[in-house]
Amino acid sequence: MEFFKARTNYDFIGKMKFMVTFSTVAIALSLLLIATKGFNFGIDFVGGTLVEVQIPESAGAVDEGRLREMLEKLGHADAAIVRVGPPEERTYRISLLGSQEENRDLSVQVVKGLGEGLGAEVTVKTIDSIGPRVGKELRASAIYAILFSWLGIMLYIWFRFEWQYAPGAVLALIHDVTFAAGMFSLFGWEFDMNVLAALLVIIGYSINDTIVIYDRIRETVGMRGTAELEDVVNEATNATLSRTILTSGLTQVVVVAILLLGGPVLRGFALALFIGIFVGTYSSIYVASALLIWLSRRYGHPAPAKAKARATA
Amino acid sequence: MSLRARWILIGAITGLMAWLSLPSFFSQAQRDAGHWWLRKDGLTLGLDLQGGVHWLLRIDSETAVQQELKKLKGNTEGWAEDAKISLASAELAGDSLELRGDLAGLRKVVDDNLQIVDISEQDGALVLRLSDRWKREVVDRGVQQALEVLRKRVDGLGVREPVIAPQGAGRILVQMPGVQDTGAARSVLESTTFLQFKAVLDSAPSKELLEAKLPGGIPADQEVVLSQSRDGKETEALLVPKVAILTGDMLEDARLDFDRRNRPIITFQWNNEGTAIFRDFTSAHIGDRLAAIIDNKVITAPVIQSKIGRNGQITGDFTREEAANTAVQLRSGALPIPLVIEEERTVGPSVGADSIRDGIRASLLGTSLVFIFMALYYSVTGMFANVALIVNVLILIGLMSMARATLTLPGIAGVVLTVGMAVDSNVIIYERIREELRNGKNGRAAIAAGFNRSFSTIFDSNLTTLLTAVVLLTFGRGPVQGFGVTLAIGLTASMFTALVVTRALFDFFYGANPEKLRI
Repeated sequence: MEFFKARTNYDFIGKMKFMVTFSTVAIALSLLLIATKGFNFGIDFVGGTLVEVQIPESAGAVDEGRLREMLEKLGHADAAIVRVGPPEERTYRISLLGSQEENRDLSVQVVKGLGEGLGAEVTVKTIDSIGPRVGKELRASAIYAILFSWLGIMLYIWFRFEWQYAPGAVLALIHDVTFAAGMFSLFGWEFDMNVLAALLVIIGYSINDTIVIYDRIRETVGMRGTAELEDVVNEATNATLSRTILTSGLTQVVVVAILLLGGPVLRGFALALFIGIFVGTYSSIYVASALLIWLSRRYGHPAPAKAKARATA
Repeated sequence: MSLRARWILIGAITGLMAWLSLPSFFSQAQRDAGHWWLRKDGLTLGLDLQGGVHWLLRIDSETAVQQELKKLKGNTEGWAEDAKISLASAELAGDSLELRGDLAGLRKVVDDNLQIVDISEQDGALVLRLSDRWKREVVDRGVQQALEVLRKRVDGLGVREPVIAPQGAGRILVQMPGVQDTGAARSVLESTTFLQFKAVLDSAPSKELLEAKLPGGIPADQEVVLSQSRDGKETEALLVPKVAILTGDMLEDARLDFDRRNRPIITFQWNNEGTAIFRDFTSAHIGDRLAAIIDNKVITAPVIQSKIGRNGQITGDFTREEAANTAVQLRSGALPIPLVIEEERTVGPSVGADSIRDGIRASLLGTSLVFIFMALYYSVTGMFANVALIVNVLILIGLMSMARATLTLPGIAGVVLTVGMAVDSNVIIYERIREELRNGKNGRAAIAAGFNRSFSTIFDSNLTTLLTAVVLLTFGRGPVQGFGVTLAIGLTASMFTALVVTRALFDFFYGANPEKLRI
């Protein structure tokens, strides 16, 4: 079976101006959203306590209202209560403002208090409590992680390719992370540790995709020289197109499987990846290669000696 | 390398990895049965998958400094007295100790005895502050003591493979797989000395009646403690001094035992110091009542019948578990400095099981779809890629079992993602071979060019992704770190399988007759 019987010859470069404008607007909007609306941070980054409990049948009918009343009696009038899953699972997630750093027995008091109020012991499904100090540290380490990955990739590409290739690759990563983060801000999806991990995976995926095209450009430049760089980029993009579509399609199949069946904990993770794989694929062409062309036009594009040697060998 | 040598290498690696990953497909009971072909250690599951309690604790350094200052105050008073220097007052003020009196003499005494203290003079007082180095030492010592106490207490709970480790400045990581965050788990953090023995000064059936007996109110150096029956009802109120005769830190041992009627009791032994105090007190107070108080609750308050020395026992209204837990707490001593829970993540066992089920179901579905697609799209060579994929997953599980890396829920997602990325390497090679065939090359030349030309692409793209995996490993915490480990191992494995395993399969099937190539 083959989707692309002959080599395709789409004019990717012709649409570059439009796409670059589109990307610029999308990124500007994402940044604006992040700056004004911000994120719906999970407790990982802001601190707080989450207690998820299952109420036994013997406690009779329960709903958020009944639990709220009980929590008010326990002195947690500011607690937020949400049902998790279908009603027959009788599972509720309670978000408390404080953390166990200030009150070590916070979760134990709530669980015990609910058990006494309901007249039946509740089952603890999960407890997560993050103190303000740890939350701040996790936020800082998240930012470091992203910045260091950009820096590392920049240096690697500079070392393996030419410097003209590096800024485009990193700009593509900044583009992808900003766009995905912007979507999380726009829809108010919870931003937790797993979403951060997903952003880093997007970086990994996107750079992978960019390198495949860059490598082909390097090879073609080695054979044909840099005179018509636009044509070279177009040709390289077409030559790798079948691979690009197959790989992103297959990875997306796996991501959708996690999104639909992977359970609630992985949902945010899979969602971020789902968005990221689309933009990661797109940005290899319209951000990374676009900047490569612009930089090479301005500062010249020395044909890499290594690629030349291999091509003539 | 000849094809035969490559097969031997591939066979050896695959066999080893299969052997290493085999235990993960068997239950704990089957592994413990001791089959010669089955290793005991499979994949280590993270707490998010097997359930348990994870704590990041911090030594309360302010309290530690206060305790140290109190000690310093006592020492200074001693030194001044020994050197006969007038010390009008020694007072704790915030994080400093203020000495008044013969300042010049005091400064000399302090200088002689201490090297690392910050001394200044202010408002006619000598102000001592702990230097930063001293504070660090106090915290480090606190961490060491806390580790020891925590280890004993967690052991006493019977936790299988707990983690109790220092974690940077003043922090301790505690992981207790399979434990729920109940009172029993939480009791390992109790900072107080649990057991106190106090003389009973007066008693009444309830607090109100006892207060009625004392028209002048409760004296400042005394307090009321209550004893409760099993159903929480107050049975007696006792008046006792605030200062205990003996506390649990002088215990040498405490264990669960049973009395003649098979009721659980706690037997204990004092150390030498405790023995002396206990013997003196009991011999002087025969006929009086003595209260054993744990956690401010009276456990028992019997009448002293005779002199008691090293060994004693506490009979109370406990269940077997309560007596066992209390004995553990008594035995492991007090935590010298309170611990603060900076981070807690508790996962119930059923949640962990649900997560594994969901994760595995999603992985199997995603991977099967990829398998089917590869077989349809690339026919026979697609099956080569699938073989490479299976070897890849075996290497991943095998290396993780060997390195005792922890598989977390995001880690399962990492396995699945590795599958996607591993397929990429094969797709890059296959598309290149097709391209070379289209350009008019024959089978042999197309295969050679396909693998050779793809090498730099696969190498560079995997290495840059590996870079992000390493960043995840370094900066991530908990499950995210687990994800980084999985991704890093998976990427390395996928380079091997695509470039070595797939290549060997091509050479084996098409090496002699490349015209048969169908791709």
